[in-house]
Amino acid sequence: MSLAAEAFVSQIAAAEPWPQNATLYQPLREDQILLSDCASSLAVQAYLRMCGLPVRVCCRANAEYMSPSGKVPFIHVGNQVVSELGPIVQFTKAKGHSLSDGLDDVQRAEMKAYMELVNNMLLTAELYIQWCDDTTASEITRQRYSSPYSWPLNHILAYQKQWEVRRKMNAIGWAGKGLEQVYEDVSQCCQALSQRLGTQPFFFNKQPTELDALVFGHLFTILTTRLTTDELSERIKSCSNLLSFCRRIEQTYFEEDKDSQSAGSQYSRGPSLF
Amino acid sequence: GPLICVPELLPCERLFGFVKMAALLELFCWKGSWGLPSVDSDSLVVLAYARFTGAPLKIHKISNPWRSPTGSLPALKTKEEGSFSHPSKIIIHLRKQKYNADYDLSAKEGADTLAFISLLEEKLVPALIYTLWIDSKNYVEVTRRWYAENISFPLNFFLPSRMQHQQLERVRLMRGDGALEAGEEAEKELYRDAQECMNLLSQRLSSNKFFFGDSPSSLDAYVFGHLVPLLKIKLPNSRLQQHLKALDNLSNFCTNILSLYFPSEGQEGVSRPASSSQEGSDFDHEPYKRRKQLLSVLVAVAAMLSYALLSGIVAIEHVQEEGPARGAASIGPAQEEEED
Amino acid sequence: MGTVHARSLDPLPMQGPELGVQADDMDLGEPEHEPQQEVLENKDVVVQHVHIDGLGRTKEDILTYEIADVFQAKNLIDVMKKSHDARQRLLRLGIFRQVEVVIDTSEGEDALPNGLDVTFEVKELRRLTGSYNTMVGNNEGSMVLGLKLPNIFGRAEKLTFQFSYGTKETSYGLSFFKPQAGHFERNFSVNIYKVTGQFPWSSLRETDRGISTEFSFPIWKTNHTVKWEGVWRELSCLARTASFAVREESGHSLKSSLSHAMVIDTRNSAILPKKGALLKVNQELAGYTGGDASFLKEDFEIQVNRRLFWDSVLSASLWGGMLLPIGDKPTSIADRFYLGGPTSVRGFSMYSIGPQSEGDYLGGEAYWAGGIHLYTPLPFRPGRGGFGDLFRTHFFLNAGNLCNLNYGEGPRAHLSRLAECIRWSYGAGIVLRLGNIARLELNYCIPMGVQSGDRICDGVQFGAGIRFL
Repeated sequence: MSLAAEAFVSQIAAAEPWPQNATLYQPLREDQILLSDCASSLAVQAYLRMCGLPVRVCCRANAEYMSPSGKVPFIHVGNQVVSELGPIVQFTKAKGHSLSDGLDDVQRAEMKAYMELVNNMLLTAELYIQWCDDTTASEITRQRYSSPYSWPLNHILAYQKQWEVRRKMNAIGWAGKGLEQVYEDVSQCCQALSQRLGTQPFFFNKQPTELDALVFGHLFTILTTRLTTDELSERIKSCSNLLSFCRRIEQTYFEEDKDSQSAGSQYSRGPSLF
Repeated sequence: GPLICVPELLPCERLFGFVKMAALLELFCWKGSWGLPSVDSDSLVVLAYARFTGAPLKIHKISNPWRSPTGSLPALKTKEEGSFSHPSKIIIHLRKQKYNADYDLSAKEGADTLAFISLLEEKLVPALIYTLWIDSKNYVEVTRRWYAENISFPLNFFLPSRMQHQQLERVRLMRGDGALEAGEEAEKELYRDAQECMNLLSQRLSSNKFFFGDSPSSLDAYVFGHLVPLLKIKLPNSRLQQHLKALDNLSNFCTNILSLYFPSEGQEGVSRPASSSQEGSDFDHEPYKRRKQLLSVLVAVAAMLSYALLSGIVAIEHVQEEGPARGAASIGPAQEEEED
Repeated sequence: MGTVHARSLDPLPMQGPELGVQADDMDLGEPEHEPQQEVLENKDVVVQHVHIDGLGRTKEDILTYEIADVFQAKNLIDVMKKSHDARQRLLRLGIFRQVEVVIDTSEGEDALPNGLDVTFEVKELRRLTGSYNTMVGNNEGSMVLGLKLPNIFGRAEKLTFQFSYGTKETSYGLSFFKPQAGHFERNFSVNIYKVTGQFPWSSLRETDRGISTEFSFPIWKTNHTVKWEGVWRELSCLARTASFAVREESGHSLKSSLSHAMVIDTRNSAILPKKGALLKVNQELAGYTGGDASFLKEDFEIQVNRRLFWDSVLSASLWGGMLLPIGDKPTSIADRFYLGGPTSVRGFSMYSIGPQSEGDYLGGEAYWAGGIHLYTPLPFRPGRGGFGDLFRTHFFLNAGNLCNLNYGEGPRAHLSRLAECIRWSYGAGIVLRLGNIARLELNYCIPMGVQSGDRICDGVQFGAGIRFL
């Protein structure tokens, strides 16, 4: 699409209100989705809930390939398809929904920086543990990732993905890290987040921002997902203010439809922290 | 207190008994040009951090990554723990040796450091690689030209293109977009992120001298290392450069660090103004001419040799031989030495 | 010594030049009779020996089946005919560059007075033959490299490798072919391939990597092919602007299918027939041997040709097909039928009929199409008997329909849905035969029955095709 056309489309998108049939696509919840994708998907859901924008969650085995960027989750709103939290935040902003308008310049800079900290360290650590730790890769990841496919395609796709992630780790200099070093990085990241949060209810005072959604998505998913060891969640549990932060967001934004959950699964989240 | 030493003070350190420790640490990094202490961002980060902390390193500025102990640059060579190449690992090691630029920071400031370094790595680094290595005009006229002239023969024939290939691969993997190619689309996307990142850094810095008050920290080293090449290297396609220059506090921040901590480079830059803008002159084509001559001789020799081999005039015996050991670095009075 | 060179009987090589006049175009009469044959015809002869000279790696046992008939000959004309047939059979194996027949009187101790020796002088093909082509399509160029190892194990087996390196895509294929000794039509082949196709009418890119094995054999007048195919299909959007319906189909799937094809072809030519009929029935069952896709696909093609006055030919054809999903999964965009284009329902753009979403055609689960053509030679018949015979003018009337079926409705509802909203068009144009495999058409089309959403091509339409309505 040419730049002019893109600008035109985004203007149209801005003019249209948020539709009721907005849909979020992610991999199959029970058998397929991986820790990192689940975390990213939960972050987007939390963000949309914070904005008060309704979205229906739809699980598809081929969600990764449906996404225009190859990454999940993505949302289908009107005739627009937007993937990943960053672009989704921009997209909702164009429609007049924003959580970070109240911040000053320095705060906004810090918010973006901390979001990149989560992407750069937590997300990368999740990917590392999933695909580069041999025990996790063989016992959990490859099996789950390839569960919708039949033999021999399941093996081909799982190893292809593993190969790709390992090359990425090589390129960003994580290939030489050991598992212990990665856990140490996660600790460091959590301590940084814990320091930044301090005793506030949200990262920037009383109002949640996209940073809160992102941190919640990752921490909550790590805390509620069973891996081969508890090492990763233990690292988070050592920061008590982050734990209560996760509980607070769960209560505020995901509690109200606990009762209606039996009627139809509105959001994709398995266990609760309570 | 923090160990912040301005370079002028360095010789004094020997009196305090740091000499012994210094003897153990050697830093290999890309050599400088355009008034920069090094042309490579990662090398610049490490050099700046070393200067901020006053770590007494023996610095080898080289232009052949194969001479580094790890095979890539920068690299820190230590006696006890081998060699490291990743800038964060080098900084961690220096920190362990009590050369810590972040000693004074509060826990929250430490967290901010981590966050802004992540921001830099996720948003700025891909665009920097793009502008130096993937943008065709910049690559051919500046980057490849510099590396081809400075890497020694015969590596200069294939190393620059190999490095370009690696960098392209790196950006593709970092962005998770296997089909990324040089072009308007990719440039627009990467530059938008990078410009936003520069704006955010500029807002965070505001009117301070350094990111956290009056003394430099590791974040300052990272920001300096990644932004100063953009400021100093004259690129034909300079959209990012112009954006940085428009952010006064950020460009002043870079030039300040350059003049405070690398005074000799600054002068060198002044004495050789616009070294990259003498495109038309004959002098500049000299290395190419010499290379052509060398190449023709090489082709002729190779042809003769292969004829001799094929026709059985000469036979080759395979003998395994140890490469000549590199002479142990001796500590001279000079802190740095230029090796070519 | 009365040597007769049977070679003069048939000057046509096995593989003629692609654009040349094909054997089946000329109504070949009996070989020309020379006056002295009248005399020889009645003389009884016995074929005592048959030699094959020039064999290298070819095993003799497969050749004995091909030349056995020569021993049955009772007179000289018979010997010549049977030797000619044997020569054709040898050339058909695709392992000889040249075959010459020499008939001579027998010599030696056991030689009978009326004994003949037949000698086939053959030249084998090289062990390895290569080829390269460049192809230019719309916005894309590609280089095709081919390697062929004919007669690789000495019994007419063939190993071929094709590699196409394009500006956008690369494809390759490796295939091994083995005929049964003495029954060349009964053969077996294995293929491994990767093919990438871009389908702009659906905004779809498909990459297939697969293995197939097939077994072909004739029964009475029919030819059958039984095939198993396992293919890993990767679908993706061609552009970011692709419709969401196509986006939903993106991803990987594995198809493992058994298929059977039956062909009866009595036409005198595959591309511009003058007489005869064709019936093709194809059925495919996917899912029972593994894989993610399960469906039953039935497909047929009928064509009847009748010669009329002044060398003109009336041709009628009918196609139809149905795709039934098995289980809950809907059918894939890659398996469904498509209709429309310059050699199917003319007057419509390539595959641009039927269900669509945001301008991307999604194909249908059932279709039919029919056409009536009147082919005539070019007006005033320029280049008659040569180049001009490659061309025909034609007048046509095409119709067809393509739709999805809801399988709860029952057969009557299906039929009525296919009978509703028929697309049809008529027109006239020129047909050019490309070898014996494809044809080019330049037509003036007038689409008449059109539904909203169809992309029509009103006026001049140009295209090439292997299969045509």
